[in-house]
Parts: sequence; structure tokens; C-alpha cells
Amino acid sequence: MRITDKMSNSQALKNIQKNRSELSQLQNQAATGKKLNTPSEDPVAAVKILSGRTDLKNTDQFEKNISAAKIFLDTTEATLAQLGEAIIRTKELALQGSSDTVGESQRAMIGSEVAQISNSILEMANRRMGERFLFGGFKTQSTPFNKDGQYQGDDGEIKIQNQQGSFVAMNLTGDRVFLGHAIGKDDYIRQPELVPDSTDQLQQYKISEADREFQNNQKLADQVETRGPASVGHIQSLGKVDPITGGEGLNIFSLMRSLDVALKTNDKLAIQDALEPLDQVLSQISLVRAEVGGRINQLNVTTDVLQKTNLDNKTAVSQLEDADLFQTMSELSRSDTALKATLETSSKIMTKSLLDFLR
Amino acid sequence: MAKIHGLLDLGRRGMAVSQSALATTSHNIANRSVDGFSRQRVDVMTSPAVGDGNKRVGTGSQLSGITRSNNPWLERQIEREGSNVAFLEGRSGALQRLESTFNEQTVKGLNNSMTDFFNSFRELANNPESLTTRTVVRDNANALVKNFQEMDRQIATVTSELNSVIETGVKDVNAHSKEIANLNEKIQSIEISGATANDERDRRDLLVKKLSEKLDISYAEDSKSGMINITSGKTGILVAGTSSTELKTSTNQSDQTQVLYEMSKGGTQTDITEQFKRGALGGAIEMRDGMVAGLREDLSDLSYNIANEVNKAHVEGFDRYSKQGTNFFDIPADGSFSIDTLKVSDAVNKDVGRIAAASKPNAPGDNTTANVIHSLQFKALMGTEGTYTFDNFYNSKVGEVGIMSQKAQASLESQKNILDQIKNVREGVNSVSLDEEAQKMIEFQKSYEASARVIRMADEMFETVLNLKRL
Repeated sequence: MRITDKMSNSQALKNIQKNRSELSQLQNQAATGKKLNTPSEDPVAAVKILSGRTDLKNTDQFEKNISAAKIFLDTTEATLAQLGEAIIRTKELALQGSSDTVGESQRAMIGSEVAQISNSILEMANRRMGERFLFGGFKTQSTPFNKDGQYQGDDGEIKIQNQQGSFVAMNLTGDRVFLGHAIGKDDYIRQPELVPDSTDQLQQYKISEADREFQNNQKLADQVETRGPASVGHIQSLGKVDPITGGEGLNIFSLMRSLDVALKTNDKLAIQDALEPLDQVLSQISLVRAEVGGRINQLNVTTDVLQKTNLDNKTAVSQLEDADLFQTMSELSRSDTALKATLETSSKIMTKSLLDFLR
Repeated sequence: MAKIHGLLDLGRRGMAVSQSALATTSHNIANRSVDGFSRQRVDVMTSPAVGDGNKRVGTGSQLSGITRSNNPWLERQIEREGSNVAFLEGRSGALQRLESTFNEQTVKGLNNSMTDFFNSFRELANNPESLTTRTVVRDNANALVKNFQEMDRQIATVTSELNSVIETGVKDVNAHSKEIANLNEKIQSIEISGATANDERDRRDLLVKKLSEKLDISYAEDSKSGMINITSGKTGILVAGTSSTELKTSTNQSDQTQVLYEMSKGGTQTDITEQFKRGALGGAIEMRDGMVAGLREDLSDLSYNIANEVNKAHVEGFDRYSKQGTNFFDIPADGSFSIDTLKVSDAVNKDVGRIAAASKPNAPGDNTTANVIHSLQFKALMGTEGTYTFDNFYNSKVGEVGIMSQKAQASLESQKNILDQIKNVREGVNSVSLDEEAQKMIEFQKSYEASARVIRMADEMFETVLNLKRL
């Protein structure tokens, strides 16, 4: 074959360029630490990396959501523990008061302590976490209970996304904890567990919520409180079910008030009658505490799952995009040697010509 | 018997032949790096012998012509493959630009800001009472809009670059066809006398190849006149003998450059843009009207759908002031959506309290609407039958661009290899080898010297004859 100067020149140039581009690619890899710098280098991996990154960011956000919910739930749990203590103390006082050995003045003294505890329970019911009231439902910006123990909040449960497609409520509403609504079997309709996740569902949710609110209000209107403060004993005689609400939950405030009155009016029977409701309140508190504990537990489990997913995701993304530095370095030195060899041979071939030998 | 002055003549002709050969060698050496040059050779033939009784005595050599070493079939191959390489180069260049727009490997892009946008609604759901989380939602929404607009602008830049490729390409084409028409004229006038117009033909071959790198052409040489006629696309006649026609460009309503062909001077102009399937122009036109336009539309679809779905949920909600939510994003009601005009609504921009997180009034802690909005991230709302989530849709576009770019680079690479191989074969035939020319130079220089010696010898022979009397 006839080899001409142009041929060997362009061949040498092509080889050098090939070596150089290989070298620059490897250099880029070493500098960025990434083997994938443009989608075209591996389109499938590039797409996987993108969705992996979205997953990473989302799990980070879910973890943030969970910690926000956990702080709220932990505070609720601490408040409920305190509430339990307060009720136990009340029961001790009620037991003392129901004894035959105490007189009227002592009962009055016990009564004033019960009043004190009652006040502190009101304080617990109106406790805040940051700027938000713990027990006001969606109405987090206004005091849930007024000084008469009437509920001003609503029964909204603030749902927090703990992972894709799953929500956990982070609050307990005051009407359940302190008024005993929707505890056990009563006719209160609670908020649906399912969180609307599309506009259509949101529209339906708004309609069903309005309906639910109407029905619950109707029920509340039907329950005209006919009892006076001294009628606390009647609860007892009917067993565990509240004759008015028909539920198993009790209104802590009116119970405390009744006990207070019974103590102050030296009504021993009424005080004795209050003992079992106090037990019932304790179990009402343990019930909601168990619910809080269950949610915290659920969140802890999700956190573990999320952390594992996060790690798996990070590993997967890293395997797709990160360069193996040892490999890069060894390839780099190999390419460097190849370039040197090309340059050397080119310099030898390209400068030679017959003309050099004709002088 | 040969005459002495016949010998003188023979020597002179030998010197002339060597001189021409040396001139050609020098010409080759001087042109060895000129693009498209084919090495030239002198064709020497034996002069007709003179009759001398029953013997014929040779009279030396004479020049029969100077020809170029050239293979027309190879030239046509190179023209064809060069056109393909230019087409693929245009494509892969544009794709690489697009790819850098969609490349999020090292910088934060749309995927990132979409995720941030939805996550800011999750943060809002955690704490709908807080002004801070609301401000973060607004800022992330604005960043998302900005990101969409920036990407759209970058794709638009690719389009306008492709338009200018077409415009300058057409200018080059016009210059080349004009020069080819001129060369046609020169070649005809040179070759009418029987000589070959080597240098002019080399130049014309080169120009045809350059023309073919720009657009699809077909051409044929008229064997009588040696002129070539060139047609571009299907209908546009660029060169006919000694005259050439200019292609025109114009910009249509949607700001795209079109290629027009004028049937006759000042006559009707026909749009022949769609006829180009090869060359740099073909590549640019295909990318501009195909992938680039498509991606811009996809991006517009994506931004519209996000804005629209967020709006639909947002108007169902209630804001911090217990008022029903307004549109979160401004979308023209008449359907004339474009990414440029997309923005976060003034109501939200001026007062983040207007962001509707609740599902009912007087419920500052209600996050139901915020939960609905961030749930949109995982809803399959894109594609004709709702097959993609927003993320999937965008990611699939990144993948598409990546695959296209990867394929374009691979086929460019292999096409370049094919072209290089044919070019190598052509260089083997056409191009100049210095070794060879050096060897020829010595050869012809020696024969020049020898021919001169023949003349001196003849001179001495005359001298001998003239001195006969004196002896």
C-alpha cells in the first residue's frame, strides 16, 4: 500500500487525540470523583440516580416530619402522665374524704386541694408546644378549654406523612382526653383514618366532614346536661356507661367539680360514688396514652425503615455514579503511558524523509 | 543514418521533458498540504521514429500530458459519507447541548427543585401555623418556576443556534455553488483544447464535498463539456452549467428559519426546508423540528400540569385568614399557556398567609390541603392516560435525551471511522509522498543532466566534422 505523508500525519494526529480524550475523561473522573458526568454515558443509570436522589430527599423530609410529630406526641405523652398522677392523687384524696374518720373541716381542706388539682388539670388541658395548643384539634391558636372546662377546640387530627402513602396523627384532641368523647362505644363519628391525597378526595372529604360535624353537633345538642353538680353519684348507679352521652368516656372536669362540691358539702356518699368514676378516668387516660405510645412506636419503626432505605439508596446511587478511584488511577497511568508512546513513535516517524539522507 | 542536428534536437527535447517533470514534481511538493489536491504525473511517450532505409531510429521522448491521480468512485463515496458525518455531527452537537440542559449530575436542576417544592408543602403540613414554613413554600415555588423558565430558555437557545446553523449553512452553500459554476466555465474552456484542468477539477471535487456536507445533493457530470449540474433536496437546482441559483432563508411566524428556493429570478419561492435529510442542514432541521421542539413542549406540559393540579387542590383549601384559597400559580384562563408567563400568583407572593393549607375555615392547625398538594408528587398525572408521576415524566425525558445523545455519539463515531477509512484509501491514491517526489526529483534531474550531455556531445561531433578539412 502506498503510504503518504498526509496519511501518517493524520493517523498520528488521530491517535494522539484519542489518547488525549481518554486521558481527559479519566482526569475528569478523578477530579469529580464521579464516573457518570453526563446522562449519555449511561442513560439508565442517570435516570436511576435521579429517582434515587428524589427518594433520598423525600426520606430526609419524612424523617423531619417524624421528628416534628414525635416531639408533639412526646409532649402529649408527658402531659398525660402528669394527668394520670393528678387523678391518682385525687383518688387518694377521695379515699381519705370518704372515710368515716374525717370530719367536715378536713373534707373542706381536702376539697380545696382537689380544687387545686382541678386547676392544674385545666392548665394541662391548655398546655402548648411552641405556639400550638396540644389539645385544641385543628384550632391550635386558641385556648382549648375555658375556665369552666368547656371545649373550644375541634376534633381535627393533624396528620403527618411518615412515609410514602402513610400518615400518622400527631395530636390527641381535648374532647376525647378530657370530655371522654369518642372513647369506647358512643355515637361520635370520628375523623376518617384515611387522609385525602387527591383533589377529588379532598372535595369529598370536605363534604363528609361537614356532614360529620353536623351530626356530632346534633348529638351534643341532644345531650342537655340535666344534672346538677351534686348528682355525680347517679353516674355510678348506672354502671360504667354515661347516661347522657351513652359512651364509656367521662368528663374529667365535671367529675372533679362534683367531687369538689361533694367534699365541700361534706357529702360522704357522693364522695364514695366518685371513687369508681375516678378509676374509670384512669383507664380512660391509659387508653389514650396507649394510643400515643402506639403512634410513637409506629414512628420509631418507620424511622428505622427509612434509615435503612436511605442507606440502601445512598449505596445504590453511589455505585451508579461514583468512580472507583483505584481503577481510575490505574487507568489514568495506563492512558498516560499510551499517550507518551504515541507521541514518541509519532515524533520518530513524522520527521523522517528521504530528503534527510540526500545531503 | 541519423543526423547530428537530429541528436541536438533529441537532447533539447529530453531537457524539456525533464524540465516539465521537475516542474510537476515541484508543484506536487508545494501543494502537498492543500485540501483536495491530487498529485500530478507527467505522461511521457516515445517520439515517433524516423525512417532510415529499412531501419527506424528513435528520436527520444515527448510530453503527452499531465494527469492527476484520482479515483472518481472514491470521491463520490467520500462525498456521500461526509454528508452523513456532517448530519450526525449536527445531531450529536445539538443533543449534547440539550443534554447539558438536562444534566443534573453535578448541578442542581429541575428534578431537585420539584422535590424541594413538594417537600416544602410537607414542611407546611408539619406546621401550618408558622409563617416561616409558608415563606419557604413560596420561595420554593418561585425557584421551581424560575428553573422551568431557565430550562425553557436554554432549549430556546439551542433552537436559535440551530436556526443560525441553517442560515450560515445556506450562505456557504450559495458561495460554493457560485464558485462551482465559475469552475465549470473554466474547466470547459481549458478542456476544449484537449488538456485536463487538473487543479480546477480538484478544487471542484472539494467544493462538491463541502456542499454535500451542508445538504443533500445529487450531481452528474456532462461528459462532453466536463461541467457538473447539482440539484439539492428534491427540487432545487443549485448549479446548471455555468450558472448557479441562490437559496434564500426566511423566518416564519414561529421564529424558525426556513430554506426557500426561487424557481426563477424574482419568481415564486417554494419552501424546501423539509426536503433536507442529510448534511449539517439536514441534521439541524431534524433536531430543531423534532427533538428540540418536542422537549420544549414536554417541559411546557409538565409545568402546566404541576401548576394546574396544585391550583385545583389549592382553591379547595382555606388560608390562614379562613378565606377560600385562590389560584396558587397564575395560569391564563384562555388556555394560552406558556412557560414565560407562568408565575406564583400575586396573592401568594404578597402574603404567604394566603397559602391554603386547611380544609375548613377557622382551623389554623388543619393541614389537610397541604397534605393533598404534596401527595400530588406521587400521583400519576402525566401522559395521556396518567402513566407518569411528575418526577417519572421528567426523569424519562432525561433518559430519552441521554439515550439519543449516546446513540448519536456512537453512530457519529462509527460513521467517522468509515469516512476515515475511505479517506485513507483516497490519500493512498491521491496525496503526495515526499519520499516519492524526492526520488523523482533526482531521477528527472539526472535525466536533465544527461540530456544536456547529449547536446554537448552533438556539439563536439559538429566540431569533429568541421575540423575534418584541416586535418
